[in-house]
Amino acid sequence: MSRIGVFVCHCGENISRTVDVEQVAQAAGALSGVAHACDYKYMCSDPGQNLLKKAVADHNLEGIVVAACSPRMHEKTFRKAAASAGVNPFLVEMANIREHCSWVHEDKAEATAKASDIVTMLVERVKKDKALAPITVPVTKRALVIGGGIAGIQAALDIADCGHQVVLVEREPSIGGHMAQLSETFPTLDCSQCIMTPKMVDVANHPNITLHTYSEIEQVDGYIGNFRITVRKKARSVDMGKCTGCGVCMAKCPQKKIPNNFDRNLGTRPAIYVPFPQAVPNTPVIDRENCTWFKTGKCGVCQKVCGPGAVDYTQEDELIVEPVGAIVVATGFELYSIAEKPKGSPIKGYGEFGHGNLPDVIDGMTFERLASASGPTGGKIQRPSDGKEPKQIVFVQCVGSRAREKGISYCSKICCMYTAKHTMLYKHKVHDGQAYVFFMDARTPGKGYDEFWRRAVEEEEAVYIRGMVSRLYQKNDKIVVMGSDISVGVQVEIEADLVVLATAVQARSGADSLAQKLGISYDGYNFYSEAHAKLRPVECATAGVYLAGACQGPKDIPDSVSQASAAAAKVMTLFARDELEREPIVAKVVDRYCVGCLACKKVCPYGAVEEKEIRDRQGTLLKVVAFVNPGVCGGCGTCQATCPSKSVELDGYTDEQIMAMIEAL
Amino acid sequence: MKQTKMTLSQTTMNLDFVKRVEHLSGSSVRRCFQCGKCSAGCPMRSFMEHPPNRIVRLLQLGQFERVLAGRSIWYCASCETCTTRCPNKVDLAAIMDALRKLSWDADGPSKESYVQLANRLFIENIRSYGRQYEMRLAAVFNMKSGQFLKDFMLGPKLLTKGKLKMFHRKNRNLPEIEKIFSRIEELRSKDRD
Repeated sequence: MSRIGVFVCHCGENISRTVDVEQVAQAAGALSGVAHACDYKYMCSDPGQNLLKKAVADHNLEGIVVAACSPRMHEKTFRKAAASAGVNPFLVEMANIREHCSWVHEDKAEATAKASDIVTMLVERVKKDKALAPITVPVTKRALVIGGGIAGIQAALDIADCGHQVVLVEREPSIGGHMAQLSETFPTLDCSQCIMTPKMVDVANHPNITLHTYSEIEQVDGYIGNFRITVRKKARSVDMGKCTGCGVCMAKCPQKKIPNNFDRNLGTRPAIYVPFPQAVPNTPVIDRENCTWFKTGKCGVCQKVCGPGAVDYTQEDELIVEPVGAIVVATGFELYSIAEKPKGSPIKGYGEFGHGNLPDVIDGMTFERLASASGPTGGKIQRPSDGKEPKQIVFVQCVGSRAREKGISYCSKICCMYTAKHTMLYKHKVHDGQAYVFFMDARTPGKGYDEFWRRAVEEEEAVYIRGMVSRLYQKNDKIVVMGSDISVGVQVEIEADLVVLATAVQARSGADSLAQKLGISYDGYNFYSEAHAKLRPVECATAGVYLAGACQGPKDIPDSVSQASAAAAKVMTLFARDELEREPIVAKVVDRYCVGCLACKKVCPYGAVEEKEIRDRQGTLLKVVAFVNPGVCGGCGTCQATCPSKSVELDGYTDEQIMAMIEAL
Repeated sequence: MKQTKMTLSQTTMNLDFVKRVEHLSGSSVRRCFQCGKCSAGCPMRSFMEHPPNRIVRLLQLGQFERVLAGRSIWYCASCETCTTRCPNKVDLAAIMDALRKLSWDADGPSKESYVQLANRLFIENIRSYGRQYEMRLAAVFNMKSGQFLKDFMLGPKLLTKGKLKMFHRKNRNLPEIEKIFSRIEELRSKDRD
């Protein structure tokens, strides 16, 4: 290759401030094989790209080096521009003289020399570049949605309504998630059940949705467009085909004293149960840990009373393989408990709030269940210890959240609003009661949100006290709240009947292990990471995996639903094509040299390496070699670095190219 | 006043008092979200132990004793800067006015404040003489406040300049003045109910 064009970018002042770009361009022009070199203020802009296209035509360029920013930033831009000018896009290389040079150096002369070196290296590399054609892979137009809360339900419904098949996997016996537990929702005070349950029914009845409840993701194989998901359907002990949902088994079960997790352990449930009456599917499961039959082998009442004979104690976990093309992760969140030790904290929970041992100190979700018409008290606000109606109720915000020492530095985002809602629900149910809220800031950034909070203060007469609570302790049948009002500057003491803590929103326990199965990244709090915080907020860096709802970070219902629909739109974009184009930067094995040690197979993070048999014409096996599936290969180059016989090459990063770059220095 | 601990309950929060303040001032107390803009612009802030925003905050918590115990409401110059600039349309100047009225009626600690004593004597003076009789006002104030020699040395100066008269002359139309006073009293007692 002897007709190479070098284009040096000023990047406004980002590069030209510390690098003499004109000198770099001049030096590049003198290199062997370079037919044209120039500089421009913004290469990525429209005139910049036109400059490149014109130079290709004028000088008949065969290879291009753009000395500008990181290839992560604009490699695609320039490859597209080159392609439109008739140059193979993989003959375009980026010389990163911004992140690798101008941003990190101060001395202009030295930085200029380094920039020239970088350009020289890339010129040598582009000489040995090969024209590549993109790889196409087929797309399985079927989506997997993990998690059946409001986000998962919304994403599943949107994709299914578009005409694509959806597999919805939910860990619990019923879909519905946290939203099914809520009483009313801010900022409109809609009944949560009234807006949630119809959607749940839609999911169950949708012809395009396959619902796997009481199931978990066991294994994830494959890649964008071609995933193979192994789902573990846990033994329900009830045949879903036969069960009519009559509920006799639950009524007759002699074991009724099991704390009901759905009601935050305020009420009890039998060992054969549905989490709540509006459950979808309305098929009970047997909680094998607490069932007398499974513990002692005696009882069997449910089996005897079941008319259709649906109860089956011999059922076992079932593994189902589902082929899908895209994955929406919507696994939601979990509430922090003041008794637990948060991740990365030296301190265990909140000792000053009683470590969760005071019965009348509850969390926000427990209050939701108390206020819910379908809750254990039928919507009456009764405190857990003695069932009395609390006349003085204290809400404490930011418990766990924004407490670095407790290991959580972020804001949980939803608590300000749901606490305001709680004060209203309380006032609507206990007219002669008084609600107090201890808060640091009222964070109400949403449509109609601040108005909602002000309504709680001005019309529903909740007393908001700016300042945190230092301690809670039991005194006779009251909880003494020791706080302070920082706008007055005095200590405040309230003898409360009930205290509600707005505890932090956390990632699901086990979120990290699911992320490892999916090959997606997660942050220090186990929240899943998006590809770009602003411009790609619903996609994972791993192709074909999308995020919806609070598994990415604390989110309220409107945000979760928006993100779910956005993720669904991304899935539909993917499904709009029959074939998917992938970058051809993939590894290739040279069969002649490969000794079949398969060290590459062990290190490949994508599972792209397979075994290939080489036979002669008679069909005798000559040897087994490694084979890289180009559809799966992520182009990371780990195999290339590992191979002891140097028989793996990554296109665009061959050993020959790397050596040429080093020698150019 | 010493900043002692505040115990909050439905009995310790006098919300009736707050409602009266709201009624008298025609302004909501609950609207205030404690931004502090009133205190930021108040020219009398440095003289007050409770800045204007804290007055509203104490009202929100029904702590009227704390409000009336202080002199802040008497230092307020009614310049209405707070009212003009409040982002929440809280008419703080009107609230201060209402508080001064209620303080007058309540057997609050501020009854003993000199400001209030001076105000009361001033009004009584007008009522009995039909006009201001400064010499008597100063003498009675000094006696009642126990500061016998307060501003004593100003007397001769004012006398020579004719600003202070040794002897008074009553207003000729005292019954008419008395009518004004009784009418105000009647209105105030109605207001109180």
